Amino acid sequence: MMINHPFNESYPIRTAKLGTLYIISASQAAAVQIGDRGSTNAKLFALAVQRRADHKTSGDVFFESYRIFDRPLPVLSDPEYENGDMIQIERIHCSPYITVGRIKIIATGSSASIQIGNSMRYTAESRIKHIRQYPRPRPVPPVN
Amino acid sequence: MLKLKVINHVLSVGQIDVLGVSSASMLQVGDTDFVNLYSMFDTPPESVIVGPLAPFPLPQNARQSLGESKIESDEDDD
Repeated sequence: MMINHPFNESYPIRTAKLGTLYIISASQAAAVQIGDRGSTNAKLFALAVQRRADHKTSGDVFFESYRIFDRPLPVLSDPEYENGDMIQIERIHCSPYITVGRIKIIATGSSASIQIGNSMRYTAESRIKHIRQYPRPRPVPPVN
Repeated sequence: MLKLKVINHVLSVGQIDVLGVSSASMLQVGDTDFVNLYSMFDTPPESVIVGPLAPFPLPQNARQSLGESKIESDEDDD
């Protein structure tokens, strides 16, 4: 099986070794996990409205009004895979550990994920629409 | 048939400093089989609505609010 490579040892799974994990803030559906995970499906839909008036005065905004929130995701075309040719991946781990001394994170949020450990499938989607709404500037009277 | 052979040698990192991780992104110490990250972000010039809105009155007790020095200067402009 492993004839051609000069490494005698190959470890099937690597383990993450971490000295210190320092996080100040984890907010808004952020995930911090120490351990393994099967699959992740993270989604973030955001409608950021910057207005001169408050939202009580100028009314609500709706996700349904903007195409960005129901637009289909782009499809990655992979002709090899579509033809039925599978990609064969061989992984050789020379060391049983991934070591990190210290991780310092100031802030994490908005469906982000911090993981110390292995994972199988990670899918994340973020759709953000920014709108700025201002009153029309008043015309300046001409100088005589 | 595509064959991909990956040899992972020793991976040892001293320190990772991150300011922020957000908007469905990830930071991982470990191995993953599949990663799919999609991001749609829209701030086109058309998103600025300079509407037929009259200048809005200031919120109640705006002058008393602390740390909002901009409110006063904005009002003077009007």
